[in-house]
Amino acid sequence: MTSSDRVQQVISRAVIVHRLEAITREMGAAMLRSARSPVFAENRDFVTAVFDGRLRMVAQTAYIPVLLGSTPFALEAIAARFEGDIDPGDVFLVNDPYSGNNHLPDLTVVRPVFVDQELLFWALARGHHADVGGLSVGGYNPAARTVWEEGIRIPPVKLYRGGVRNDGVWDLFLANVRLPELVAGDLQCQVGATAIGARAIEATLAAYGRPIVADAVQHHLASSEADMRAQIRSIPDGDYSAERRLDNTEPGADGDRTIRLRVSVRGEEIVFDFEGTSPQIASYHNSTYANTVASCLIALFSVVDPDISMNWGSMQAIRVEAPEGSLASAARDAATSMCTTVTCSVIVEAAWLALAQAIPDRAQALWSRRGIAGVSSGINPRTKRPFAVIHNLSKGGSGATLGFDGWDQLSPVSSTGGRAPDPEIFELSSPHRILGCELRPDSAGAGRWRGGHGGAYRVQFLSATTGVILEPSGVSHDTAPQGVQGGGHGLPAYAEIADVDGSVRRVDQSTIYRPGPGDVLTVELSGGGGYGEAAERPVADVLADVLDDVLSIAKARDVYRVAIDPETFEVDKTETARLRTRRQ
Amino acid sequence: MNSGRVAEGSRDVVGQTTETIIGIDTGGTFVDLVVREGDATSAVKVPSDPENLAASVLEGLQQAAADRGCSLGELLGRTSRIVHGSTVATNALLTGDTSKVALLTTKGFRDVVNMRRGVRERGLDSHQSPPRPLVPRRLIHTIDERLDCDGNELRPIDLAELAPVLERLERDGVEAVAICFLFSFLDPSHERQAAAHLHEHLPGVHVSLSSEVLPQVRLYERESTTVVNAAVSPVLDAYLAALDDQLRSAGFQGRLHVMQSNGGICTPEIARRHGVRSVLSGPASAPVAATRIASTHGLPDAICVDMGGTSFDVCLITDGSPRITSLGGIAGYRIAIPMVDIHTVGAGGGSIVEVDSRGVLRAGPSSAGAFPGPACYGRGGTKATVTDANLLLGYIHPERFWGGRLNLDVGAAERAMAAVGRELGLDPAETAYAAYRVVNEAMVDAIREVSVRQGFDPRRFALIAAGGAAPLHVASLADELGFPLVVIPRMASVLCALGGVLSDAKYEFVATLIAVLADVELEVINDRIEQLLAEARATLKAEDVAPDGARFEIHAGLRYVGQFQEVEVDVPRPALDRRLVDEIVEAFHERHEVLNGYQARQHAVELVNLRVVAVARLGDPHLPPVESGAGTAAPIERRPIYWEGMQLAVDVFDGEQDHASHAAIIGPALVEFPTTTILVPPGYALTRDARGNSLLHRAGLATREAMAAVGAPA
Repeated sequence: MTSSDRVQQVISRAVIVHRLEAITREMGAAMLRSARSPVFAENRDFVTAVFDGRLRMVAQTAYIPVLLGSTPFALEAIAARFEGDIDPGDVFLVNDPYSGNNHLPDLTVVRPVFVDQELLFWALARGHHADVGGLSVGGYNPAARTVWEEGIRIPPVKLYRGGVRNDGVWDLFLANVRLPELVAGDLQCQVGATAIGARAIEATLAAYGRPIVADAVQHHLASSEADMRAQIRSIPDGDYSAERRLDNTEPGADGDRTIRLRVSVRGEEIVFDFEGTSPQIASYHNSTYANTVASCLIALFSVVDPDISMNWGSMQAIRVEAPEGSLASAARDAATSMCTTVTCSVIVEAAWLALAQAIPDRAQALWSRRGIAGVSSGINPRTKRPFAVIHNLSKGGSGATLGFDGWDQLSPVSSTGGRAPDPEIFELSSPHRILGCELRPDSAGAGRWRGGHGGAYRVQFLSATTGVILEPSGVSHDTAPQGVQGGGHGLPAYAEIADVDGSVRRVDQSTIYRPGPGDVLTVELSGGGGYGEAAERPVADVLADVLDDVLSIAKARDVYRVAIDPETFEVDKTETARLRTRRQ
Repeated sequence: MNSGRVAEGSRDVVGQTTETIIGIDTGGTFVDLVVREGDATSAVKVPSDPENLAASVLEGLQQAAADRGCSLGELLGRTSRIVHGSTVATNALLTGDTSKVALLTTKGFRDVVNMRRGVRERGLDSHQSPPRPLVPRRLIHTIDERLDCDGNELRPIDLAELAPVLERLERDGVEAVAICFLFSFLDPSHERQAAAHLHEHLPGVHVSLSSEVLPQVRLYERESTTVVNAAVSPVLDAYLAALDDQLRSAGFQGRLHVMQSNGGICTPEIARRHGVRSVLSGPASAPVAATRIASTHGLPDAICVDMGGTSFDVCLITDGSPRITSLGGIAGYRIAIPMVDIHTVGAGGGSIVEVDSRGVLRAGPSSAGAFPGPACYGRGGTKATVTDANLLLGYIHPERFWGGRLNLDVGAAERAMAAVGRELGLDPAETAYAAYRVVNEAMVDAIREVSVRQGFDPRRFALIAAGGAAPLHVASLADELGFPLVVIPRMASVLCALGGVLSDAKYEFVATLIAVLADVELEVINDRIEQLLAEARATLKAEDVAPDGARFEIHAGLRYVGQFQEVEVDVPRPALDRRLVDEIVEAFHERHEVLNGYQARQHAVELVNLRVVAVARLGDPHLPPVESGAGTAAPIERRPIYWEGMQLAVDVFDGEQDHASHAAIIGPALVEFPTTTILVPPGYALTRDARGNSLLHRAGLATREAMAAVGAPA
């Protein structure tokens, strides 16, 4: 290779990788712009990715990380089903959890990219739809015992065949949902995103030629793999075990709903082994193998160098083993719709607690689980139009790490880029009135670095509504976010319904709540767990939280051992010194 | 560092009786000034002292006066207008040195502004601190008042309830208060009552109302914008008051105008009350100047790039105006008012060249800045930068850099570059060339972000280059993206200050009005447009802006019923009838197709908001022609440069030398000016237009063919 060729190669590698990543952002931008449901437009509940012809993920944009890590499984299912029958102009769709998807409401749309009749890349857009029929609301049915009760199940099919719309597939699907116009709009928006991706990939291939693009992709994947292997090498060899359980929220739940995990590190390889995890259950919490893999990736990528790209290369040193038919690898008939948020959180929690033993300095305190209230939909009497809105105006807190407090209003970890709705847009589109949407004082786990605060949210239903999924998670002390290295727990989450007649009941079971006019729903979320001993938190930081009304004077004294005068808000230095010494 | 006069092109500064206008742009490294007196325009560049910007400004003015052989008092005495762009408000936000601001908001919604809609952009990076709130929770007070989503009053505001809040504000030493109530864009009366009460009891405290700052739906966006306004207005107020004082005591009797983020200028009274409108005050003016230059050639569409020491700013110009966005922010604080849509990446002359942990060569985003600066500056910098690369490649002459005021150290540049090259197995020249190409790619990607990714094809656009470093790179950027024509303005290195001189006054007025177009009584929309127009006219009048030449643009934000994002289209005239509505809807369908890849004609279209922009012309928006000489340009020397793996011997020309404007310089060639050098690559040709701007295009084309390719009239 001549010097000039080497220069060209250095440049091309930098340029092409950059460009493929930019293409996935372009696809995401198009989806945000033209979406019809708040799930896409307000919540950004989607991911985009580019794969090469060998089904290797090359580039991605992950607003919702749990949707990303499982995309390779869906693409593999499509490629296997249509082997020998994949042509230019085809666009594929799949939502079947047993064909590589996490759960039914995520529709995965993929378009192959050809040059000279050869399949070189794939453009993928996966997003959560507002409705997939059945008994579900927003894709969730707490009463589901099997996948059949969760909505319409779509194996790999062709949405377009050689550029021609496959009307039968669209008609069949849209006849099975309650909000066909909205769902069709979002599906069209995904198809458009893959078209934008494919055009940009074709332009890149035309500009650089296949060999140079292939070289850049190969180099990028290989260096990502080397990066991840180096990170794993920095984790001491050993076996690290932890377990976390789901909340007992089903009527008649048998109690054993536990993710048991052993993380084994040997040199530059890491294995997540779920041997001993509870068998799959008759509820919508079961995780598919693909969802479990995605959850392990979240756990690992959040404790290693954040600049490592998540792609096929960086996934090579990671193995996930889960017994078929367990909560972590559900078999053919299990319901799975709650796995992307709740069960993903529980898996990530177990993995973080295991990794905390190996690398305490990089340990991540646990985050709040899911936001309890899901989507509501129906007809808005004020506008006389169908509506769907998301109730995650309050989100939970994230956990602390060494040197950093957790973030308020961020959880769950499965969807860190998911946006909360704007309160005014929410009231304009739905027959609901927000009575409050603020941080929940004293919710953060205490620590040298404390967790972020959870949100507290109250909404009044002005008219009858189809229903809201209520999924109480993290509602008990042992399912609330745990601290690490001596840090405290976040306050457990809590929800209640006040009927218009005045009766109040606590939400303690997964249920579809069908509110009447005047009912008020209150949701209070956990803060994240803390890192390190609370009594070591600087007094000034404790006082700052008291002045900001997010920490009570009582908790400041009892947990942080800082005495603050309730009248003057001044720190009693002598008393604080006494409290803090006594503890040592 | 020396200060010095930079006069390009027109060197005969003749005292004229016509209007004198001065444009001033204060940046982190330099204060740039452009003085226009009648037909004569000249520029001055002096180093800036961030601790005392007003003093640097006066030093620059002193220099400009000396260049004219007059006193500062004489120059200022005959100056009718000074147009000022500054980064004072931006820097206050970036450094946290803003006013102490409190927020009053609706009960139950205390944390909306600090909840950031629940987003963390780098989601899985667990080692990052939560953002520092501009208004901490202890300074946010909730008031028990409420409107519903139709603007009906659910709960009146009780002013007695404000008493303890006022006490707190006073005790906390608050300098500014933002007021943002739910749905106040539908009825501002609660906000106004609270504001009146505050003014009465806390005179001297700045008060910003969300219903004045941004009367638009979306609580988080409106509230955040209002808080930013309250935080920066007193800072800008103090700075402008001090500057105004100093200018007046030095003899200035004219008007001091301020550049706004929207690319228009306003009076200092407005800027001091609406500081949020000036956060992009500096960079927003280069695209204005670029727009003027494009329009002298009848070019409706162009892309303006500004390559400074640290950053590379890109702005799209379509239909004769810089593109505007409402999706931006500064320093992590969301600002939802319309601002010139400037996309910035960390790429400039000072960008550091290094190999990252993955073995990939990078150029930027980290920068050596002005101090220590590039290795070749010889000020102690040891890291290789893009400027070092340009020096090693022979593009910059070591003894003629910055008009010869800074001798560059080639040996230092070579040592720095060699250290980077060793990791890649490349020699210093190869590394320098790779760095040149990599920084170009970062800039190409930034241009692609505002063009290709927004549905605009660069092959239809002229590329206009600002900043001293840009002319060495711009031909390569154009080549990669397919721009048929590059324009390098005569005042490329001070284009922001020039933008101030050429700008119009510009004020914006918005209203939210949600209505399905097929169903709505058009009177409702027309009444609202009339209200906005009346407000606009009144503002121009109150600001004493000459009404002649004023024009009013009307824009409508539309979407398909059920969508969440609107697409803005022009409303050609105020009184809507059904035919005009059909035209507007047609334009919407087409725009949606361009942006989102499809249109949905079967769907109903909904109006979301209306925006009126009042633009008043303040002076001649164009630079006059300059005299051009005769004959062909003669090279002053021939020197080797490194280009695509080869040594090329190229002719070097003196850009100040007169020659016939249409006589082309054929690449490979270098054209040196005191503050910049243009690289004309092999296969390219350079000519000059009647105003002394350089035009670069493929050598196979005549200049007028390149012009025609980007839409210039024949």
